[in-house]
Amino acid sequence: MAGKIIPIAMPKWGMEMIEGQITKWNKDEGEAVSPGEELIDIETDKMTNVYEAEFSGVLRRRIGMEGETYPVGQLIGVVADESVPDAEIEDFVRQYVGGSAANSQAAPTSSAAGEPAGYARAPNPEIVLQTSAAPARLGAAEVEAQIVKLGMEISPIAARVAMDEGVDLTGVGATGRLGRISLEDVAHRAGRPVGARKDRKLISPRARKFAREKGIDPATLQGSGAEGRVLAADIASLGSSGVAGAFEIVRMSPMRKAIARQLSLSKSTIPHFYLRAQVCVDALLALREQTRRLEGQAFSVNDYLIRACALALRQVPDVNIQVHGDEIRRFAHADIAVAVATEKGLLTPIIRAAETKSVAAISREMRSLAESARAGSLKSEDYQGGSFSLSNLGMFGIDQFDAIVNPPQGAILAVGAARRKPVEANFALSFATVVELSLSCDHRAIDGAVGARFMAALRTLIEDPETLTRAA
Amino acid sequence: MQLNRDQLEKAYRLMKTIREFEERLHIEIAKGEIPGFTHLYSGQEACAVGVCENLTDKDYVVSTHRGHGHCIAKGVDVPGMMKEIYGKSGGICGGKGGSMHIADLGKGMLGANGIVGGGPPIAVGAAIAARNKGDGGVAVAFGGDGSCNQGTVFEAMNLAVVLKVPAIFVFENNGYSEHTGVAYAVGSGDVAARAAAFGMPAIKADGSDFFSVYEATREAVERARSGGGPTTLELAICRFYGHVEGDPQRYRGKGEVQRLRENLDCLKHFRARVTEAGLLSNAQLDKLDTEVLDLIENSVQGARSAPPPAVETALADVYNAY
Amino acid sequence: MSVKSYRDAINECLHQEMERDQTVIVLGEDVVGGSGTEGGKEAIGGVFSLTAGLWGKFGDNRVIDTPISESAIVGAAAGAALAGLRPVAEIMFTDFLGLCLDQIYNQAAKFKYMFGGKAKTPMVVRMTTGAGMSAAAQHSQTNYAWVTNIPGVKSIVPSTPYDAKGLLASAIRGEDPVVFFENKLLYMLKGEVPDEPYTIPLGKGVLTRQGKDATIVAFSRMVHLANTVADKLAAEGITCDVIDPRTTSPLDEEMILESVSQTGRLIVVDESNPRCSLASDIAGLVASKAFEYLDAPIKLVTPPHTPVPFAPNLEQAYLPNPDKIEKAVRQALEGI
Repeated sequence: MAGKIIPIAMPKWGMEMIEGQITKWNKDEGEAVSPGEELIDIETDKMTNVYEAEFSGVLRRRIGMEGETYPVGQLIGVVADESVPDAEIEDFVRQYVGGSAANSQAAPTSSAAGEPAGYARAPNPEIVLQTSAAPARLGAAEVEAQIVKLGMEISPIAARVAMDEGVDLTGVGATGRLGRISLEDVAHRAGRPVGARKDRKLISPRARKFAREKGIDPATLQGSGAEGRVLAADIASLGSSGVAGAFEIVRMSPMRKAIARQLSLSKSTIPHFYLRAQVCVDALLALREQTRRLEGQAFSVNDYLIRACALALRQVPDVNIQVHGDEIRRFAHADIAVAVATEKGLLTPIIRAAETKSVAAISREMRSLAESARAGSLKSEDYQGGSFSLSNLGMFGIDQFDAIVNPPQGAILAVGAARRKPVEANFALSFATVVELSLSCDHRAIDGAVGARFMAALRTLIEDPETLTRAA
Repeated sequence: MQLNRDQLEKAYRLMKTIREFEERLHIEIAKGEIPGFTHLYSGQEACAVGVCENLTDKDYVVSTHRGHGHCIAKGVDVPGMMKEIYGKSGGICGGKGGSMHIADLGKGMLGANGIVGGGPPIAVGAAIAARNKGDGGVAVAFGGDGSCNQGTVFEAMNLAVVLKVPAIFVFENNGYSEHTGVAYAVGSGDVAARAAAFGMPAIKADGSDFFSVYEATREAVERARSGGGPTTLELAICRFYGHVEGDPQRYRGKGEVQRLRENLDCLKHFRARVTEAGLLSNAQLDKLDTEVLDLIENSVQGARSAPPPAVETALADVYNAY
Repeated sequence: MSVKSYRDAINECLHQEMERDQTVIVLGEDVVGGSGTEGGKEAIGGVFSLTAGLWGKFGDNRVIDTPISESAIVGAAAGAALAGLRPVAEIMFTDFLGLCLDQIYNQAAKFKYMFGGKAKTPMVVRMTTGAGMSAAAQHSQTNYAWVTNIPGVKSIVPSTPYDAKGLLASAIRGEDPVVFFENKLLYMLKGEVPDEPYTIPLGKGVLTRQGKDATIVAFSRMVHLANTVADKLAAEGITCDVIDPRTTSPLDEEMILESVSQTGRLIVVDESNPRCSLASDIAGLVASKAFEYLDAPIKLVTPPHTPVPFAPNLEQAYLPNPDKIEKAVRQALEGI
């Protein structure tokens, strides 16, 4: 396999993935790589996974950087045999064009034949990529030699930064004053911010002054200004006297960002309304207890609720929908997404066709999905889609809450904790175990009466749970 | 001196062109279509043409804010001038200069100048260049009784004498510097006499008589071309219009302009002279009149219909390279 | 290559450029010297001897003594340039700019533009600037800001013999009007200068010192003061970029902005009076285009808003000096 250069591109895991963040390289440049070895830890907005090598050779270039995010298909590393000369690797990197490298016709010199198959290798050809990948780091002496040749044609500051950061200046464009290579040109060539201020925190002069007066380090704050700039108002909003280092910055993970994006969109574009009902779960709890004693299986209240929702959806299919622009898709099956809290954030694995599954099956599936969710090993088909959502915060002692509709779904049911409450029964005061339910609906597609019918159906199913255990 | 028929026709044509150009502008300006300040030359045609008929394209001329006459006399394209004054693309200066800054270096016309007294030092420099080139070229600085008091003019006159360069200082004394009479502004009352103080010869001539101006200039040009140094010409003349268009001319005497147009019209004088001497016929001159009017009419129409300059040109030609 | 003084570098440039191109002429007061006197021509080659030896080589037509007539000198230079020569006019002191300003800013600077691009005015006006010799208020100014402000004319402020020769050659060979601001206190400054003719492109500055903690932009003689301060601070581990823009129009804005983007602190040292000066111009440039990068207020080290005083101690108090520059740098480092 002498002379073969293997590109490592950001893999595509699942249809929706458009980018991934390199959390960790597990090999250094110069280390040998063999098939099956874990090469790179990559995180997407849904999961974390490991890129496994499917080839052998030496890791010649680590192009992608830890902590940085790259689009699917972008060149993030190069593996080749030891004997391949550096110059060839340079050429390969320079000429690498995203998705087309996987298509043999456009492939540069040696990588086309024998490229290992597997989903991790194929970049999405629809993604538009930089035509020259980020260059590898050079030694300062090499850069200096390039600079000596350039003479007056490079700004001295750009030269200094290029040397400090080992930026290869071959082929760099010169757009600076009078055809000079500018600092911006060096940054562009490097494919990343360079120089002393690349991680700079933006702080307005006024904010700096106020911060100094309060004895705070403004660099530790989250700014509300453009590009995250810390403004005077941010300092003012801190409490009295302000303690130095009172805040730490927590960068949003890809998953967090996705949640933020998704739910902001939901809350701002979907006209929500809320239907609340207090349902009595004594019968359900009794059934659950009975099942436990008789069959030795402990199901959660949630498992029953999932089935109840599924059956209710079958009765009121107008709630079992997705909204796509002007289009309402009414689903044949109740694919219920169930919210699972994980360390990294909220995940919603789906019980497909829940109306066809027994409570036992639902329970088994939920357990397995929840485990995968917490382990970060959900597959995309586990969480993509869904026609309805269920979220239960009862275990945290929440009495009642309203959830946010998860688009493109039309509704979501929020479940609170089971509580003993006084109720009226037969003109007398009595106690019952009740749960506060709240159905959030997208009023573009679901009207109050429709939602109400669903809730009525749901109540009936929950309060008379024998129906839940009958076969679908 | 004997001017042949072609030269006489050319002289008349040029003077008539200047006259009709300015008269037409007076009308068009009143309509409000022409931006900025315009200073009309009507009445002084014989000065510009009498001087410039002694010059060729290799000789230089620097003018004043009242520069249309000098430009036309030096051969600058008339339709191009009209477009420039209208501020349109296709103007001699691309609409970048306007009435006060018309120039055509190819014809040796180093520009009308918006600064009183701005021209003479430039003319001295052009004269130095002509001398160094050794092609016998001369540089003429036009000025008025107004500019003759500006310090730059004194410096230029002295420098021309000291360096003995082929420069000619022509002062068109039309009696008014803006709204002040020459009797007040020129302390000695005699513009030409200043030349002697600088050590250069001066000639006075009747600015309303083409032949008088022509002769006086010939003497100065011959002196300059032969290395004899600079000369001052003072041409007594009048202007029919105000200092600038829009000037109500309250400083004029009653009926003064009327009288000037009747008695001091250099075109009338020229026609009388050449027809009496049998050098040209009225019919020939009338034909020239018609041709000139056509030229002016076409120029105005051309200027009106020309588009304004492209906006990007505002940024162009500040430097050769920056 | 040899060691030459700033004065000799300029003189050598004039000799070489006049040799190279017959259309280059020199004019001004006493550029030959001795005209019309018993001592005869070339009794002196310029008041500061910048034009020594030229008349002997190139003669009356190309090395022209003039009377004291600044407006005629510069006006004639403009006219000669329009008519095809490349005049280098000498105005003895930049303080006399007032006498010939119209010829520079209304005439030469605007011909190309007003005449629709068809004219060119390749004239150079050399002037002497600088305080520190007790030449008093009317012979000590540095008003390159006025010229910098004018569109159509360029302004050069060299601080070393090497820069002086190369930039003057570029000015003479270029097609635009240029004012070349020399400094009377730098005439004796020595430095390495190539013997052969060479040019330095206009609009590119130099870094005379490199560092990461602050950017000092300085002009003319102030560059040398800034270097002194930078060297002193370097011994303490505080390093500075010292930028000599060399030309104020065109200005190497890019170098200044790049440097400030790396250091976060700007100090400008300018011998001119502070209002509407190069110092305030560059402060404005950086504040508007490198705002993100500033960690400290921009510090301007300039004289006060007064004429130049005569008494030596007053003049020294007036001028920027290394102590004032150092103080400004330290303040910038503290963010105040």
